[in-house]
Amino acid sequence: MIEARKPPVRQTGPVAWARRNLFGSVGDTIVTLVGGGLLLWAVYSFVGWVFTGAHWEQIWNNIKLFAVYRYPVHLLWRPFTMVALVMFLLGIGAAGDRSEDAIVRGVYRWFMYAAGALAVVGLLFWPSVRFGWLAVALAGLAGLALGTAAPAVRRRLGWMWGASVVVAFLLLYGVFDSGPLQHVNTRLWGGFLLTMVLSVVGIVVSFPLGILLALGRRSQLPVIKVVCITFIEVVRGAPLITWLFIASLLVPLLLGLSDPDSISALARALVAVTLFSAAYMAENVRGGLQAVPRGQTEAARALGLSGWQTTLLIVLPQALRAVIPAIVGQAIGLFKDTSLVFIVGLFDFFNVADVVANQPSSLLVPGGIRMELSVFLAVVYWFFAYRMSVASRQLETQLGVGVR
Amino acid sequence: MSAETIRGPAVGTRQRIPFYRNVKTIGVLAQAVFAAVLVLAAYVVYRNVTSAMAASNLRGDFGFLDQRAGIPLAESPIRYTGENTYGRAFLVGVLNTLRVAIVGVALATVLGIAIGVMRLSRNFLMRAFATLYVETLRNTPLAVQIIFWYTALLTPLPPRILNPVELPGGGYVSNLGVALPWPYPSYHFGAWLPYVIAGVVVGAAVWWLRRRQLRLADRPGNALGPGLLAGLLVMVAGYLAVGKGPLPEATTASFREASGVVTVFRDLNGDGVKQASEPFVPYAAVTARIGEGGLQVQTQNLVESRRYVYGRFYFPPLRESEFDELEVGFADPEDAAERDLAIHFFSYPSRGVVYRDLDGDGAWDRGEEIDPEASSPRGYSAAIRLSFRGFERTLVADRNGEARLPIFATDFAVQESRGVNISPAQLFAPPAGGGQGEKEPLEADFTLLESRPLVLSKPTIPISKYEGGFRLSEKYLALLLALVVYTASFIAEIVRAGLQAVPKGQREAAKALGLSDSQAFRFVIFPQAMRVILPPLISQFLNLTKNSSLAPLAAYSELFAISIIIANQTGASVPATIMIIAAYLAISLVFALVLNAVNARMALVER
Repeated sequence: MIEARKPPVRQTGPVAWARRNLFGSVGDTIVTLVGGGLLLWAVYSFVGWVFTGAHWEQIWNNIKLFAVYRYPVHLLWRPFTMVALVMFLLGIGAAGDRSEDAIVRGVYRWFMYAAGALAVVGLLFWPSVRFGWLAVALAGLAGLALGTAAPAVRRRLGWMWGASVVVAFLLLYGVFDSGPLQHVNTRLWGGFLLTMVLSVVGIVVSFPLGILLALGRRSQLPVIKVVCITFIEVVRGAPLITWLFIASLLVPLLLGLSDPDSISALARALVAVTLFSAAYMAENVRGGLQAVPRGQTEAARALGLSGWQTTLLIVLPQALRAVIPAIVGQAIGLFKDTSLVFIVGLFDFFNVADVVANQPSSLLVPGGIRMELSVFLAVVYWFFAYRMSVASRQLETQLGVGVR
Repeated sequence: MSAETIRGPAVGTRQRIPFYRNVKTIGVLAQAVFAAVLVLAAYVVYRNVTSAMAASNLRGDFGFLDQRAGIPLAESPIRYTGENTYGRAFLVGVLNTLRVAIVGVALATVLGIAIGVMRLSRNFLMRAFATLYVETLRNTPLAVQIIFWYTALLTPLPPRILNPVELPGGGYVSNLGVALPWPYPSYHFGAWLPYVIAGVVVGAAVWWLRRRQLRLADRPGNALGPGLLAGLLVMVAGYLAVGKGPLPEATTASFREASGVVTVFRDLNGDGVKQASEPFVPYAAVTARIGEGGLQVQTQNLVESRRYVYGRFYFPPLRESEFDELEVGFADPEDAAERDLAIHFFSYPSRGVVYRDLDGDGAWDRGEEIDPEASSPRGYSAAIRLSFRGFERTLVADRNGEARLPIFATDFAVQESRGVNISPAQLFAPPAGGGQGEKEPLEADFTLLESRPLVLSKPTIPISKYEGGFRLSEKYLALLLALVVYTASFIAEIVRAGLQAVPKGQREAAKALGLSDSQAFRFVIFPQAMRVILPPLISQFLNLTKNSSLAPLAAYSELFAISIIIANQTGASVPATIMIIAAYLAISLVFALVLNAVNARMALVER
């Protein structure tokens, strides 16, 4: 007679999962217990500090500085209108279900969520402008509704984005010398607004420049090739912070101006950020160009397309499509790196923290509030950068880069 | 497809292409035009720059490099004082960059590989931690992380340089960084040098011979171990044989009691005073002995770092064993007795607190140092006096032949980073004759000790900063920590991708051959992954090096930080920018060359 055997160990369920993933061997068990203990202790003390030890009120009191720095209060409706405009366009983009635009829509959606979350945070901690945030949220919903109701609008989205850039600049900088649309000196710009201006302008303007540099680097004309390679390698050889410093010294000199303040610090920083970004963009685009099979060019030439037509219509579209994830990665890097403009005296999101830390009321807090500030900055930067990196990874899967 | 559809010149009727449509001509023309535009632009820029520089009093020459800089640099791997030139200051910057970059690259690689392997661990907790690590740190700006570490290292406790954590063996950790005991080559090092060279030669020879022998026998084996052992044996034997050497002729120690500095030098003319022509004796050991004396401080009433430090007092970190006789007590015992005050020592004799025993248990309890009857929380103020006889401490001079005695500084005002002033300690004359608070120079005797080729320098804290030993400042540590932790998050992803790129079959084959998990990883998986990992790893190394330019955020003086100061002080902004770029390009180039050579070597293993 066969003896009754014990039932086999369960292979499913939480216990089995824990056995497999946490207590697989003696070593595993030790790691789990010790590491888990340490982790719990770290989380416990951090959470305890966040809720009882830390002084956050100083940050909420200065939320306006963090958002726009010294942008005049009575003109705050202008940046708000700009944000509402962006949300409106994002809403349009996020609507609809055309399958070929799934990637674009995914990115739009992420940004929509991010902007929405920011609106909620703003509503909670910056209540004096709650109508502004309400308008922003409504604009997003209106865009979504419009996009769903009239899909034809979405085809014009590219043009609308282009126009919105012009409108955004006019809104921020102003048109007239006085009145509601009066000029606002860029010295008053700052906070998250400035961080976004630097990142967006940097990445958008560097895009065409980077393509030109990449094409120049692959050119068969030696003079152009050497010039492009030199530019790319020299710029990439030194860090961004040095280029910012150098631009703030040299841009006025290059234009023959003896008074360095005749060009705003923002313009000088933008020059540095854009050229630096262009050099990296060129290398990304070059990667894409190299990925396009030679046969594509030969086929295009055989069909009778000119050199320019081949590049513009055949090679570049394929090359750029392949490097979108890399470009998103670069955008994340640039977004983080804009924090370096402190070196030229601009008060972006990062540098505003220094202003807040040195306020008399902050210095009165025992021990200062630099710890709180760095945690706050880290969370906000992380929120945006992480969302972008998730989007980039989705793009990668959808494009099938590197899977094949 | 029929022949009629083909257009173009028929065969045999080729016409000459007009020159303006010839691709070659167009290419040459285009380049000529491009070059001409470039030259023109360069000329305009040159004219603009020169005229603007002349108008705003900027200089364009490199002559400033030979001028006296007068920049105080807290840390430097080479000898540097305010008397040195701008050129040397810049060199210090380059070396400081390399110091942080090379150590950072090594540590980031180790941490990155560990995290990368953890991401693929079977253990859920490790996997989760590694993912959390990568996703948070990779997506936050390095600048924010530097501020975070700098604050974390600088802030936590009350005047920490006077309240340091002591490491076993004589090291210190405080808010001014880490100081460790360190062996330095003494004046007698030259006698040992031949043995060191011989050790290297013998070691290399043994290694080479052993390797050849193993190769000829076609056996696996370790050649490096015997080589190292043989080399070390020769060196150690030489070290013991050389023994202690006599001090250089006419070596003397002089002493400035105002600053507490002992200078060891060769007194060639015999007047006991250091002349500019008389050389220092670096890393000489000297025992200083003081007959009688004392120090006096007022207790502290201050709020610092979220902690109240009422009623506390700090003397420079001293050891009881350094004194023949020691007495610490109230300067005015009667007044203290009247006010019912007592002293509690955190660390005798240097750190303590004045309190009133409210609950009568005979010991200090938290809160007893604050007067509950006062409307505002004020501590008990009292003067604490440390009087002693026969203080003795052995010091090792630094590379400038200087060592510092703690007790002889007449004032040790400590300016802490957060604007906290610690009241000065007053030196008073020997208790027998002296009134309170009088500054009186004390007599000190010095005995210079003979040294072996290496001399162990232990760090001390004479006043408010480290002396001696091997020191890593809090600025360096904050920058290093941030760079390592940040870069490791990128390296971890590279390592993970590399490990995943190794085909599953390799692991299975290794297991089938009977290799254990760790053997399979070390001998089969990792070497193959390394080939995928190395190229992107190299670019991360270069990134770390370039990111060290964020040093101004941690107040660390490297290449970029020093260049900014030079540009601002001299007005030579254009030459300074050229030097910055040239230095970074050179560093990047050398790094890239070395690492690519390593990469090529690794790749050669492949068939």
